[in-house]
Amino acid sequence: MYEYLGILIYFFIALALSLLLLGLPFVVSTRKADPEKISAYECGFDPFDDARGRFDIQFYLVAILFIIFDLEVAFLFPWALTLNKIGFFGFWSMMLFLLILTIGFVYEWRKGALDWS
Amino acid sequence: MNILIFSIVLKILALTVPLILSIAFLVLAERKVLASMQRRKGPNVVGIYGIFQPIADGLKLIVKEPVLPSSANLVIFLFAPVLTFLLSQVAWASIPFGEGIVLADIHVGLLYVFAISSLGVYGIITAGWSSNSKYAFLGSCRSAAQMVSYEVSIGLILITVCICAGSLNLTEVVLAQTQIWYCIPLFPLLVMFFISCLAETNRAPFDLPEAEAELVAGYNVEYSAMGFALFFLGEYANMIVMSSLCCIFFLGGWLPPFDFAIFYWIPGIFWFSLKVVFFLFAFIWVRAAFPRYRYDQLMRLGWKVLLPLSLAWVIYVAGVLLCFDWLA
Amino acid sequence: MSQAAPAGAQKADVIGDMWCGYRGEDWYYPRIGGTAGLSSKEFVTSQREAPRDLAGVLDESSQTLFLTELWRGLAMTLKVFFEPKVTINYPFEKTTISPRFRGEHALRRYPTGEERCIACKLCEAICPAQAITIETEEREDGSRRTTRYDIDMTKCIYCGFCQEACPVDAIVEGPNFEYTTESHEELLYDKQKLLANGDRWEVEIANNLRSESQYR
Repeated sequence: MYEYLGILIYFFIALALSLLLLGLPFVVSTRKADPEKISAYECGFDPFDDARGRFDIQFYLVAILFIIFDLEVAFLFPWALTLNKIGFFGFWSMMLFLLILTIGFVYEWRKGALDWS
Repeated sequence: MNILIFSIVLKILALTVPLILSIAFLVLAERKVLASMQRRKGPNVVGIYGIFQPIADGLKLIVKEPVLPSSANLVIFLFAPVLTFLLSQVAWASIPFGEGIVLADIHVGLLYVFAISSLGVYGIITAGWSSNSKYAFLGSCRSAAQMVSYEVSIGLILITVCICAGSLNLTEVVLAQTQIWYCIPLFPLLVMFFISCLAETNRAPFDLPEAEAELVAGYNVEYSAMGFALFFLGEYANMIVMSSLCCIFFLGGWLPPFDFAIFYWIPGIFWFSLKVVFFLFAFIWVRAAFPRYRYDQLMRLGWKVLLPLSLAWVIYVAGVLLCFDWLA
Repeated sequence: MSQAAPAGAQKADVIGDMWCGYRGEDWYYPRIGGTAGLSSKEFVTSQREAPRDLAGVLDESSQTLFLTELWRGLAMTLKVFFEPKVTINYPFEKTTISPRFRGEHALRRYPTGEERCIACKLCEAICPAQAITIETEEREDGSRRTTRYDIDMTKCIYCGFCQEACPVDAIVEGPNFEYTTESHEELLYDKQKLLANGDRWEVEIANNLRSESQYR
């Protein structure tokens, strides 16, 4: 447990350090804000509308695909560690799982879900 | 207990302070190496050979005015760079510099590092979202999609390493390479891992999130002063983390190149830093050599090349090790 | 294969895709659906001929597999890394500049000290940026001279038309390029400033004009 204590303390020290660094310019520098300066940057124009509009569905698709494959990776970690204990049975079970995933992968590939246009 | 905490704090400071210095000088090294590869001299005015340039840059950033955009969600806006920097620091907790020279020698070190590097995407996406600027938002969307895409192949490559080493403890991963470094049997994986690292740290040729020409600076366009500097430091700290991961997983960490006694006279930490510096040089080298990818090419490389290849390597390595009974 | 032709082509596309992507030189590849009205296949062939024979295919595949082009690029930059640098340490070292260099303006004088400018206003007329303003008056000796000769250096585009237009080589653009100022006003040059420039740079300007005389 004592190792994790180290990580916890490191977390707080890093937090304090970054807050210190972030806060320093507020103390040291001269601040003169005007409406033009603090408006969102849009190549010199006033921002036309809110930035939080619609965006490409592809980003969402990538996120979904990522969840699928990252879960797969999460499944693989314990399998990889215990491979010498579970032997060929474990190996082929995972191959079956991977096969099913690969079928899905091939399907989305052929459907063009991985194409970015 | 107090003494324990005190000693941990001392250890952490001994880790953090040199790390921040090394980030500063990595920036200088990058400018120098890039300059050399373009037949320039690079910064050479501040101090001898420009050695104080990063300190001058840092001081400049401290006295700059922090601009808080009127349309931003200020709390998240200020929190994002803190998170990025924080994560790039905390990742160092479980990285072994030598045998026993590690802050937290946890059993799941590999998972820990993987998790921390996955969290990095939050810093960027919150920065882009809270800035409420179109460039920042688009940059952060791109960046997030890019980072998660390459994370999958990084995960699969780590699994291959983990099958070979039979442990998630980074020290044991290194010690498992006493016979042979994994870069020799798994060389293609090293190349793939390195490419994924480039994408994961948003480095050239995958630096689309901050593509200067189209997105002006991507997700950090609204940041100034130390907010910007924290992103910058975080990015470079991540580069160093990724380099040391490359070195731990494939180049045998602190192990000397040959298993002779004479090489053990040189301390392991020297070999470790040598290898890390090599990878850092490669990061910069690649930036000097290759033009930036287009976004669809980047996504195709991640999903259609690296992902199937790394999955195939997992199956291949697992199969071979199981068949010949070579599992650790 | 019993599949219909289009389906077969589609399949080849997919497999080709996977290996082409590895090279990072795939701008010719079809994903840019509908570029310039070409179908994907036409787009591919219009950019680059794929090898047909076995040797060519093997050659290309192995180059792709071993990333030869990437390694060659890296070798190139590494070679340059060790080559001598060409940087000039600017404020301390300077390059030579051409005698035709068009820098800061100057109004010249004759060796007698009489100013050359005859107030013909050709330079004012030709100036595309309308940076020059001239006012004239007849002097006591009957000659026409300027009373005012202003150049707005922030308007000037350094095209050199004024010195081309000048019949008496009075207004010239000298070799000086280090005249930055901290305010806009300091860059609104008047006659006095321009004449002072002429006095200061006369030697260099005269040399440059002499060396260029046979080409003008």
